Amino acid sequence: MTTPGASVDEILVHTGALYNHARYLTGGDVEAEDLVQETCLRAIASADSYRPGNCKAWLFRILRNAFIDTRRKRRPEQPLGELDVVEGGDGELLRDDFELERLRGVVAEDIQSALAALSEDARAIILLDLEGFTESEVAELMSCAAGTVKSRLSRARVLLRRRLREYAR
Amino acid sequence: MDCARAKDLLGDSRAGRLDGATPAALEAHLAGCADCRRAAAVERALDAALAERLPRHRASADFERRLRDRLAAAGGTARPAAGPSPPSARAAARPGGGWRVFATPAASALGAAALVVLALRVAAPRAPAGAPNESAPGASLASSLASWDLVDEAVSDHLRVVASTHPPEIASGGIHQVKPWFTGRVDFAPRVAFAGDDDFPLVGGSLGYVRDHKAAVFQFRRRLHAITLLVFPAAGLPWPSGAAVSLGRHDVVERTARGFSVLLWRDADLGYALVSDVARPELEALVSKITPAL
Repeated sequence: MTTPGASVDEILVHTGALYNHARYLTGGDVEAEDLVQETCLRAIASADSYRPGNCKAWLFRILRNAFIDTRRKRRPEQPLGELDVVEGGDGELLRDDFELERLRGVVAEDIQSALAALSEDARAIILLDLEGFTESEVAELMSCAAGTVKSRLSRARVLLRRRLREYAR
Repeated sequence: MDCARAKDLLGDSRAGRLDGATPAALEAHLAGCADCRRAAAVERALDAALAERLPRHRASADFERRLRDRLAAAGGTARPAAGPSPPSARAAARPGGGWRVFATPAASALGAAALVVLALRVAAPRAPAGAPNESAPGASLASSLASWDLVDEAVSDHLRVVASTHPPEIASGGIHQVKPWFTGRVDFAPRVAFAGDDDFPLVGGSLGYVRDHKAAVFQFRRRLHAITLLVFPAAGLPWPSGAAVSLGRHDVVERTARGFSVLLWRDADLGYALVSDVARPELEALVSKITPAL
């Protein structure tokens, strides 16, 4: 007896979240649509990798792999991220209350611009955290050790705040 | 606790992962350290900026239609690999973020198919005798799945609220304090006239999600039972069909999922989902208060 896994309907439940993530990763509507469609088609074809119970995380992992594949075809020489080479912490951002006031005053356009200016890895980990995935889920999605997710996320957030300092003036 | 340790814990704190004596130790350190207190405030402000002001992109209806057709043409279902047990789903969304949607509910030892079958069974509408049964062979599977999803999502949001160890994002000082709090946090005005009473006190409000739509969450209580009212834009959402009861000004669809009663109704462009484990007649009484007859 076989047990049906991710049906089309189950996949479609998550296409809204997939599209939002794809849109921020690619920066364009057409590219996001292509990426989501590729993700869903791979999902249907990837029966062996499906594990019932966490369809959303499974789909996001497929999306990430599809994105990396597409990205490598277009720009094979460019690395995905800068998260392992972030210098310094956030000390310079915390010397006074300006940082806090700035964050409270940023508007949607500021955040979008700052996020878009980050590396793809930094952008991805912030969005995955915002999407509500656990550390272990993010680790699996990004093919890294669970122990590094926290530090990578922390560095990505510092980078985002640095960008916000530049955009939110 | 020193500053390095405290700052290291801020991420876990915002994710709700601290337990034991650690939260109290962190709070104690923050109370006496202005630098770490500022760092914590900045983290919270960044969370708020991301959750409340970063737009959520939505695909066009045309793309969704094309995608559905493309997937249907590509072929139905994917089958799971044998062997690995399913990962446990998160118990609740983490505090502090608007995008922190409650994940797909735990399937535990049940496979997804078994979950769907079970959901179809419990989600079947109370049809009059002799009426077609949606869960019977030959019924519209797509329609049933769509209904199941909305009901299940409402239960998941209720569980997120119940499981949260944090107070409501806006504690109730009355409906006139809770409703304005949603201004700027959701892109609609939730129409809820009921201010709570001795039978159903209004506890507070928070943000939730219903199928990627931001939802206004009103938290009521009945004795020791939590009651969650989700208000959300209903346009484009699949809606459970079938028998409904007339309560107040609306026809209310009643469902049961995972042991919770879910009562759903629409008022113009808004959808309402009331979820709790209290007896259904009591929930119906609350619906009548929320949507009184004109």
